[in-house]
Parts: sequence; C-alpha cells; structure tokens
Amino acid sequence: MSITAGIDVGSTYTKAIVLEGDSVIGMAMKATGFKLTEVSEAMFDAAIADAGISREEVQYTIATGYGRHQCKVKDLAVTDLTAAARGAHFFFPATRTVLDIGGQTMKATKIDESARVKSFRLNDKCAAGTGAFLEKTARYMGFTTEEIGGLMDTSKEHVTISGVCAVFAESEVINHLSQGTSPADIMQGSADSLSARSVQLLKRVKAEPEYTLIGGLLRWPRMVDTIAGQLDAEVNAPAGEMVQYTGAVGAALLGRIRLNKLAEKDAVEQTA
Amino acid sequence: MMTPVFNDWKGKQLDDVLLEVRDLVEDPDMLTAQRWREQGGKVAGHFQVYFPEEIAHAAGMLPFKMRGAQLEPTQADSRFGSYLCSIIKTSLELCLTGRVELDMFVTHPICDAARNLAPVFGRNFDYPCQILYLPQNPNSGHSVQYLTDEYGRLQRLVEEVSGVAVTADALRSSIRVFNENRRLLRELYDIKRETPWLIAAEDAYALVASAGMMPREEHNELLAHVLPLVRERDTKAEDRIRVVFEGGFCEQPPLDLIRMLGRSCYLVDDDLLIGLRWIVDDVDTAGDPLHNLAYAYIERSSYSPVQHDLRKPKEVMLEQRIDRARADAAIIAAAKMCEPGLEEQVAYVTALEKRGLPHFVSEFEENMTSFAQLEMQLDTFMENLLFA
Repeated sequence: MSITAGIDVGSTYTKAIVLEGDSVIGMAMKATGFKLTEVSEAMFDAAIADAGISREEVQYTIATGYGRHQCKVKDLAVTDLTAAARGAHFFFPATRTVLDIGGQTMKATKIDESARVKSFRLNDKCAAGTGAFLEKTARYMGFTTEEIGGLMDTSKEHVTISGVCAVFAESEVINHLSQGTSPADIMQGSADSLSARSVQLLKRVKAEPEYTLIGGLLRWPRMVDTIAGQLDAEVNAPAGEMVQYTGAVGAALLGRIRLNKLAEKDAVEQTA
Repeated sequence: MMTPVFNDWKGKQLDDVLLEVRDLVEDPDMLTAQRWREQGGKVAGHFQVYFPEEIAHAAGMLPFKMRGAQLEPTQADSRFGSYLCSIIKTSLELCLTGRVELDMFVTHPICDAARNLAPVFGRNFDYPCQILYLPQNPNSGHSVQYLTDEYGRLQRLVEEVSGVAVTADALRSSIRVFNENRRLLRELYDIKRETPWLIAAEDAYALVASAGMMPREEHNELLAHVLPLVRERDTKAEDRIRVVFEGGFCEQPPLDLIRMLGRSCYLVDDDLLIGLRWIVDDVDTAGDPLHNLAYAYIERSSYSPVQHDLRKPKEVMLEQRIDRARADAAIIAAAKMCEPGLEEQVAYVTALEKRGLPHFVSEFEENMTSFAQLEMQLDTFMENLLFA
C-alpha cells in the first residue's frame, strides 16, 4: 500500500500528515513562525516519526498552504483550494462546498462529485474575515488564542461587533468592556461577526450542500455551530484535530493520485 | 585596460552570486554601463531584439542591450502615444533620466514603435541614433550580401563614434569571445532542459540578461564560474509540469513574474531575450567576419515574431522547441500592446490546439507588480494537468 505525505504550511500553523492507503499513520503540527523551510521539514520528520517509518518509505510528498513553495522536501506543490477540496471530499464524499477559515484567509470553494474545484472566492485582503480577527479580539481582552473556544462556550448574551475592520473593532471591544459586557459575550459577538462574513462569501460562490467546514477556526465546536446557525443549514466538520489537518490530508491523497499516474506512465513507456 | 564592471559576485557562494546577478539585472540604474563610462569607455545602446554586438565590441565599446526597465516612464510618456508598449518608453526613460548614458543608439524596424525609436532618441540626444535594417526577406538569395553591407555601414558608424578602426582580426577575436558566450548560454539552457530543478527560472533569466550589460569576457567568466556549481547542486527534483514559455522576445516580464512562473512549473525552455541567443551555433572566424556574422544571422539562427523567414514558420519552430525540451505544456504570452507578439499568439495557439498540447495564454507588462491572480490561474491550469 502506498505511503504518501501532505504538508500544509499555513500562515499560522504547519501541519503534516502521513497516509498509508486511506489510513492516517502519522501527523504533526506546530506554529509556522517565520522559518517556513525549516518548519515544513521539521513537521514532515515529526509526522514520519509519529508513523514509525523512515523518510525513504514515503513515496510522494505534496506541500500546500501559503508557504508551500518554501518546502524543500516536497515532490510537488498544490494550491490550498485543491488540497482542501480533496481533503473535505475524503471526510465527507457528498461535499459540494468547502469553507476554509484559517489564520489569515477565508476561502469558499464549490467542488464537483470528484472533488474538482468548480469555482471559489477568497476573502478580501482584510483581517476581519479571518482567524486573526478573533485572535486580536482575544488579545485586546488579555486572553490567548487557545482560550477563545472556552470563552465562546461560556457566552450567555448576544452582543454586536460590527466586524467591518479588525482595527476599528478594538474600540468596540473597549466600549463593551467599559459597559461591563463579559469577555465571553464579546468573544461570541466577534465569532458571530466573522460567521456573517463567511456566509456572505458562501453566497458569492453560490454555495450548495453539503457544506464542509475546515480550518483552524473550526476546531472550536461553537464556531461550527455559529456558522451553521447563520447559514441555516447542516454542516460537516471533520472530527477533532482533523478539521485543521484537512488540507494536509488532501495533499497526501493528491500525492497518491500522482503516484498512480506516474506508475501508469512508466507502464505505458515500458510497453512502448 | 578597463577594470571589470561587475566584480560584485567574486569570492561568494553560489546563492549569493545569483543574488548579485538578480540585483544587477533588476536595478534600473544599470550600474555596469555607468562603471564602464567612468573609466572612459564608450557605450553602444542597442534596442531589442538582435544586434551584432561583436562589431561594437571589436571597437572597444560596450554593447549595451536596451531592454527597458521596471521604472515609471514619467518623462518618456510625453514622447509617445499611450497605446504603445512599455519597453520603448522605459528604454528612453533610462536615457532621459541619465541612468544610462550612451554614445550611440541603434534600433531596428521590428515594429512601428521600435522603428520610430531612432528619430525619437535623435530628437532628445546629440549622439548618432540609427536604424539597423536587418533583412525583411531573409529568403532572398541576396540577403546575406545585403546584410554584410548593412553591417559594414554599422561598422563605419561604430568606428566614427569610438575613434577606433575595426580590423578584421579584431572582429574575429570578438566573434571568438561571443562564440564562447553562446556556448555557455547553450550550456545554461541544457541545464534548464535536462535538470530544471538545479536552477530557478529567475536565476537562469538573470544570468542571460546580464550578458547584455557587461563586456562578454566578464560574462564568460561569470558563466564559467556559475554553471559547474549549478550542476553540483543537491536539489531535489520535483514532479512539476515541464513548460515552454513563449512571448519574451522583446519586452521582458518582470523578474517576479518569472519567479512566479518557475514556482508553478519547470520552465524548460523559452524565448526570453532571444536576441542574446539568436545565433544558435558558432560563427565562423575564417574569412570575412562581417559576411560570417550576416550568414549566421540568416542561416544559424533561432526564430521570433519579428523575423519572417519562410523556412522557419514560427509555430513549427515553437513545436520543435517544445519537442526538444520534452515539454508537457506551453505558456503563450505577449507583452501588452505588442503587435508582433499578439499576432503570433494566434498562430501558436492554433498549432497547439491542433496538436492537443495544453497551453496557457496570457499577457504581461514589464511594470506589473501584482501576480496573485495570474498565479492562481496558472496553478489551476497546472493542477488540471497533474490530476486530470
């Protein structure tokens, strides 16, 4: 059975997956930082170690994500859209729309039954449509990124954060805090605002069910529920950490396709 | 004895050498021409596409390729219509702003805009500005003799400007230098075709472009140093689509665009700065050197949309380039407002469609700075081929 790897060098986290057939046998994740070549190689090695195999046993490696071109251990680089589409289709084969919200981007992609990208829309170059918006909100209030999920879970009342701009949102947060609004409610208000933008993006791509949500922000179940509520539809989200690893899984799956194609090509050439 | 105009790379590691070359090529101040003049050297500016640089070289001049630059043509804009390509404006801008000081300027009637460059330069500068009439009909039995005579006219102009009589022996010596340069450039392209993972597209391009900016002896030394180091590199070969790029014969895409193209695929061959690689084999050194140069222009040359040789239909030549490079696909580009380039796109696309070879059609401009959309389109094109 083929062993392939996918490395998703995202703006915030770098994720690596090793697949044997359809089974995940190794995975690793770390904050990307500023040394993209090093972190991609480190996560590749960590995922391999997790799988208990050697580098030589990995037959094909695909890098994706915004730092994909800096990865030196890859056989190929593919766009986030193609990798995410393949990963989402792997977890939920009936997926027709993928919403990927990462640290610095938001992408809505329509795909066909074979996981091929039909059309897509990206968020404007603005932090208000990305995970950075929630991170900034948390930071204003003295919380870390990892505390966002817990904060949202304890929210009791709805407050409105305009979400037009991540910078201007700071003054809104300060206003709410000065009025005694709880940080949990402010956090949820920011999540509502971000969700509204994601639904707008989905409308622009003429999204169709099934919807699959992936990306770092969706690791918080409350975020998934918030988007589902605003979309007024059922949504899928890969379980647990896989919601963050979907792009890497997709990349590894694409690696297998490529591996098969190369084998077919070799066979044809040998026959000729 | 002139001191070298580009010493910045010496004693450095390969990656740093290539960085120096990229910086040189991207710098609109064209430092090598300045350094040459500071030593009292004279500069013969020649516009794209092909120029017999050996003739200026034999007179001790620096043949300097005018290939535009990434700068805003604030002064040159007033000398041209808005509907014209960028390279003619930025080439003039280089001189109007004093970045490049010439002692003579030569252009060619490759298109209406380029043909008019000589009179436009002539109205703005005191030095001789001439048109070199390369034969419009290379298939005529008289074309070599005609071109030999035209090169003789150019030689007399060069002698007048430089104050140096160009002897046949000096010309033969220059031809030898340029033959060596052509050999090294062919070696560079062999690396691109056979082991494209060893050299980034933008590095290969910068190495070629730098040829038009410095004495060829210096460029030969640079290439002779760099190419063995490139071959020794331990870079992983990736499973990228092999692509031929067509459309860079005159106006040049910015280095960032070439870098982007090289990230999405392997650029295994191209027509970028084809004028510097126009003659595809050695020029003979025995006999009349002007005749030999003229003969090589007609008989031992590449192709481009600005030469119309019935023996070399451009689309057939492109297919040969694709075959020789074992390319999986082609990028058929053209500079904005470039009539010859845009016209030829039609023939190229028709031939590739007939052949069933995947191709990506696009336009570019030397001053473009945003590549995100183009990259997305190109990546999608490549992924369609990889995972179809």
